Amino acid sequence: MSALGAKPAAAGDIDPISSVIGIVLAVVFVAIVAVLAPVALMPLLGIILGGVLIGFGVHFVPVGGAPAAMGQAPGIATGVAMLAAGAGLAGLFGGAWAAELGVVVATVTGAVGGGLLMAITCMMVNIIYVFGMGIPSASGKVAKDPITGDTQPEFKSQGTEGHGLPFISFVGGVVGGLFGGAGGTLIYLMLLEVYEHYLPGIFDATAAQIMPVAVSLAGIFAIGMFLVNAVLAAYNITGTIEGPHDPKFKRFPRAIIASLVASALCGLVAIMIVVVNLNI
Amino acid sequence: MTAQITVTEGGLPHNTLMIYGLVGSLVLVYLTYLNTVTGTQLFSFFGGLGAIAALIWGSDTIKRLCSYGIGTGVPSAGLLAFGSGVIAMLLATRFGIASPIVALVLGFVIGAILGYIANNILAMKIPVMIQSIAELGAVGAMVMIGFSAMATGSFTFDALSAVPVTVLGATVNSFESSLIGGSLLAAIFMLGGIALQHGFNACLGPSEQQDRTLMLTAEVGFLSMIMVAIFSYVYLDLFAVLVSIVVSVIGWYYTYDQYIALSKRDAAAWLDSKPIVEPEGH
Repeated sequence: MSALGAKPAAAGDIDPISSVIGIVLAVVFVAIVAVLAPVALMPLLGIILGGVLIGFGVHFVPVGGAPAAMGQAPGIATGVAMLAAGAGLAGLFGGAWAAELGVVVATVTGAVGGGLLMAITCMMVNIIYVFGMGIPSASGKVAKDPITGDTQPEFKSQGTEGHGLPFISFVGGVVGGLFGGAGGTLIYLMLLEVYEHYLPGIFDATAAQIMPVAVSLAGIFAIGMFLVNAVLAAYNITGTIEGPHDPKFKRFPRAIIASLVASALCGLVAIMIVVVNLNI
Repeated sequence: MTAQITVTEGGLPHNTLMIYGLVGSLVLVYLTYLNTVTGTQLFSFFGGLGAIAALIWGSDTIKRLCSYGIGTGVPSAGLLAFGSGVIAMLLATRFGIASPIVALVLGFVIGAILGYIANNILAMKIPVMIQSIAELGAVGAMVMIGFSAMATGSFTFDALSAVPVTVLGATVNSFESSLIGGSLLAAIFMLGGIALQHGFNACLGPSEQQDRTLMLTAEVGFLSMIMVAIFSYVYLDLFAVLVSIVVSVIGWYYTYDQYIALSKRDAAAWLDSKPIVEPEGH
């Protein structure tokens, strides 16, 4: 873990020039899809929405990294990539089972899956912190828990930035899991729709026959996009965050722009795989 | 907590290593095309060797990027590489014989755009960020296409997503037993991801040496290659599978032996350790 290298907390200023360049790029990607494959335009917008949900959701998750493992900072003691992959994949599995029941039911199921995984993770983490390591939960960033109103500084050990998983971080983790699971499932559903439309023509086969390829392609693309969005959001918070009460949370507009551009790019490539037709 | 992870000087310059990895992986992945030329499946194992060439290059890139302290852990860089790499690789497989070259170029392009997003929109301001993420995208794509070629003997979309099977005398395409349809691709994704990130993640710190880190990457790469050789039992004839397994096991044993030797060498060099540099500010 190179959580050692966390930089000083910078203000979450948006760089206007590069953000505009990014948004222009995203519009170009959407336009390419609109011209080459009009059927895939709405799914691409769904993919972008899913990516943005993931990028936003990561900011809620209390990521502690290596300092948390040593009881020197609050949060879950691992990196964003692991937590986001866990919540996202749990959500994706949940949502994929419900794919036949329509977009709304499947997305909600995915959100519940992701939220459930984070709730279980947060609870087990706190059990280990409290009963295993013998440390109370205390936030280092706020004097009072915004939800319960419990005071924090009395429980904070000197020389640490807080430790354990305070109630607000727990809630943040579950909310982050809900967003992540919903976003991952939305990407999967949209891609599945595109592949079910195009793949039978490519392979000259029935819709039922190509189902395994469509499901698998949509699944692996959804995992790829999930990781890209989660890692970009992790770069935005430079590795660790306490939850929605952390000052770093205010940086989320940057991550939304980043996720928007990255999802548009990845969505374009994922759609192109069934649109380009080259017989070399 | 702020501390720079010092990267030991010495060893091959990064750009030299990049050229070796880039050309090596491309040539080795293309050698699997000998399968089609000669009508056998014996040359599939070259795909795995190509993947390992790309992994060694990628491991050095990760070392270069993570020495700046990106704050999210070394594994995140590996997962970003494979997240963008798998997207590039799957589109590239649609280009037939040109697939490996397209995978490399697409990986670079997608990686460069993601690097721009990270460096400028997210204001990471790391000098090597764009180049490193671009390289990692290309590495991810080459590893995936190399291992896929090793498992199936081919790197085209049709061969990866449909397997001809004979049912009642007629040949039909079976989609659910293919590399993509059977989701073996997901296993390859994680096997490659572990191999890419583990080398530097395990060796970082004082007295890190390039040759030891890269040897560990190659060792984990060969471990992944053994797994891919086992996957290939589904798609290739038994003799080709045996050749793949023997090559992987020999490669693994050699790199493991070398890695242990290098670890013993560097363990004695530990005496000259220096305190970790703490830059100002928190």
